[in-house]
Amino acid sequence: MYVSAWETYYPTLLRWLAVGGGLIGLMILLQKLLRLFGVRREVATGYALILPWILGFLIWNLYPFARSLYLSFTEYNIFQPPKWVGLDNYVRMFRDEQFWLSLRLTLLYAAFNVPLGLAGALGVALLLNRSVSGIGIWRTIYYIPAVLPAAAVALLWRWMLSPESGLINFMLQPVYRGLNIQPLQWFTDPSLVLPAFVIMGMWGVFGANSVILLAGLKNIPKELYEAAELDGAGNWRKFWNVTIPMVSPTLFYNLVTGIIGALQVFTQAFFITIPRRAGTFLNVLIYREAFAYRNMGYASALAWVLLIIILLITLLVFRSSAAWVYYEAEVK
Amino acid sequence: MTAVPISIRLGLGVQARRAIGNAITYLLLALFSLFVFVPVAYMISTSLKTEDQLFIWPIRWIPNPIAWENYPRAFVELGRIAPGLTFWRILSNTLFITVLAMTAELIAVSLVAYGFARFRFPGRNFLFIVMLSTMMLPGIITLIPTFLIWRTLGLIDTYDPLVNAIWFGGGAWAVFMLRQFFLTIPREMEEAALIDGANTFQIYYKIMLPLVRPALLALGVLIFQGNWNNFMGPLIYLNTTVKFPLIVALKFFQESLSKEAPKWHYMMAMSTVMATPILVLYFAAQRYFIEGLMVGAVKG
Repeated sequence: MYVSAWETYYPTLLRWLAVGGGLIGLMILLQKLLRLFGVRREVATGYALILPWILGFLIWNLYPFARSLYLSFTEYNIFQPPKWVGLDNYVRMFRDEQFWLSLRLTLLYAAFNVPLGLAGALGVALLLNRSVSGIGIWRTIYYIPAVLPAAAVALLWRWMLSPESGLINFMLQPVYRGLNIQPLQWFTDPSLVLPAFVIMGMWGVFGANSVILLAGLKNIPKELYEAAELDGAGNWRKFWNVTIPMVSPTLFYNLVTGIIGALQVFTQAFFITIPRRAGTFLNVLIYREAFAYRNMGYASALAWVLLIIILLITLLVFRSSAAWVYYEAEVK
Repeated sequence: MTAVPISIRLGLGVQARRAIGNAITYLLLALFSLFVFVPVAYMISTSLKTEDQLFIWPIRWIPNPIAWENYPRAFVELGRIAPGLTFWRILSNTLFITVLAMTAELIAVSLVAYGFARFRFPGRNFLFIVMLSTMMLPGIITLIPTFLIWRTLGLIDTYDPLVNAIWFGGGAWAVFMLRQFFLTIPREMEEAALIDGANTFQIYYKIMLPLVRPALLALGVLIFQGNWNNFMGPLIYLNTTVKFPLIVALKFFQESLSKEAPKWHYMMAMSTVMATPILVLYFAAQRYFIEGLMVGAVKG
């Protein structure tokens, strides 16, 4: 059945205008009402201005948050009303092999991708910080993988790592021949899925991180290095005792955002089909349970487990930061 | 430690050592650039190959003959699987979503950020912290109930979920970024306008918005990129193939093709089409991409 583009656009366009106009109307109404009740002008206007966000928070954050917790204790296939099953979904998870495989893959991916990406990024940032010329050009180049759409990156790397005819296996041919082994199967071999994803992830991650770290390096006062030199510090000591402590807040920021991002990989994983025996990324598993199998309850339980894992790891990193992140303003 | 730097043992002067250091630095920088460029070049090169050139070793970086027709053919092929889904239809779907979502987000975000930056009201700091903490929430946790809300409203398989939810305050990150910009504007500007009898809306529209224009542009660029690349949203809300934006069309194409032999030249042509607007935008407005990256990192 063919529908013209305009037919699919204009109902949405009308509702879009209505929602936007309605919201602005509501803001004006709230301001006038508050004024009527004798609220000071500044206070009334302030509340009116943030009204869209307050509504959005209630509708798109708080309510779904509570609802998904409730759903995680139910069996729900959309067509019949949710049925309370207590902890069944969480018990089921314990026996679900796909869950454990996916949890393992997701955690290992984060465990390799984040530190390797940070170390690589720091290396690149240190090179760029050596007063090289054309720094803007290098920076522009290194940032390219980070702006490319994840979907395009995923397809590109699936092709690069294609077992029979991908660029990587072509280039590795002499190695395979030398060692007399079969070509690596990358994304189609369950035991090589992880390294394949890590290689792809590194490509995307080090550019953006190195640009941020470079800004951190540029902020280090020259005097610190001069003082260290007077004390007879060599390059290595300067690196460990000046550079690392001074960029540690930036490293910390990259570490936290990197972990949160790595645990939530979706698009790349969705575009690359991997064998079932390798598991999949947790976000893809949740999507599949919810929208392919219509297990809304079980999917909600999985989402809550992912949230708790992210919170725990973030908390752990924050706790550890006291030991290794150095803030200048802090009195030690 | 008896390790004497090799350059001293060789009797090189300071200048020579620096030259060697620089040479190594540039060599490494160039190697990293290769790491970036080779895959990108491989994508473009593959997209211009005829099918028989895909599997030739050594790689022909510049295809011979150059198959420009892969680009139109990839879309003809897609139209064969999904009737009515032409290149222009996909482009207009993508732009429809992106433009509406971007406009709504810029309006909503600038109002909310202005409220948080300039007005004192009870509970402001608490609410601001609540807003920042929503950034930590993984999107997947609210996804299912949000889907159910749109289903109750009967708006599945419309563009509404993709462009209307954003009216409600936009992204927390964008509010945070814009608030930082509002804070840098001296208060005297507004006070003077207030004395001249301007109302809040006039101050916001005539004074504040023009002053934060660079920030709005930066935000616009980043929001455009975010919507162009957004996959999960259109994937779960749109079912009819003619409504697909580029990224979902790409996935659909890949799935349908993988049943036959993988046609990597077509896949890479589509990927190049997907990547080109973002790359052009990046080169044109590079400063904004990097600025946006820094707001979180340095000021946060």
